[in-house]
Amino acid sequence: MKTLTVPGTLEALDEIGEFVMDFGQGAGLEKKKIYRLRLAVDEISTNVILHGYKEAGIDGKLTFEAEETGEDITIRLFDTGVEYDPNEKANPESLNKPLEERPIGGLGVFLSIQSVDKFLYERKDGKNIHTFVVRK
Amino acid sequence: MAFEAHLEMDGQVAKIFLKGQLDANAAPEFRDEVEKAAGNNPTRLALMLHDLEYIASAGIRVLIFAKQKMGGGVDVVAVSPQEQIVETLEMTGLTHSIEIIETLD
Repeated sequence: MKTLTVPGTLEALDEIGEFVMDFGQGAGLEKKKIYRLRLAVDEISTNVILHGYKEAGIDGKLTFEAEETGEDITIRLFDTGVEYDPNEKANPESLNKPLEERPIGGLGVFLSIQSVDKFLYERKDGKNIHTFVVRK
Repeated sequence: MAFEAHLEMDGQVAKIFLKGQLDANAAPEFRDEVEKAAGNNPTRLALMLHDLEYIASAGIRVLIFAKQKMGGGVDVVAVSPQEQIVETLEMTGLTHSIEIIETLD
């Protein structure tokens, strides 16, 4: 298992992206799936940084655990920001509306959930745990 | 992993060249170039995406902003995006409003 801990700021997104892509490459994941996994993790990380920490006035870190089990690549994101279940934000219905009529927000979560085979959220011991799984 | 955005005016056509990784941290830089382009009152906005390697929803939101900022009379096109970028544009329904073309005439 590999881990990464970064401060909860937008500047950390680069390092998070590199961590996910490096792990995907090392596990032999195909290019498209690496892209999608990175997208999924990047979007949720952005939400944690902006909504879980910044808007709430909380300083915190993001910790990632990446592991390969059989055919599955699993990335877990732990944060101590406000409780936030991305599943409640996902609303693909508005995607068929003209641009002018679409609500802001929810787009990143939609992209994230669509881009992985499995997405799970839980709140445990004061932490948010986001789990992303892609199959090789 | 860096991001670069720069505007070039070609007559009445505003071209914004995007390169690298367009995540939430990079999106404001892109937005600034869109504002600059709008200030030149172009008839067409061409987003030159050949060297763009990654786009997050924050970048998609700037594309939506660009379309709205330019208004209905300005044609907004995405030129030569990479396959994964096209996939995201399609997933987010952006291809209804922004045409994808291979080369700029």
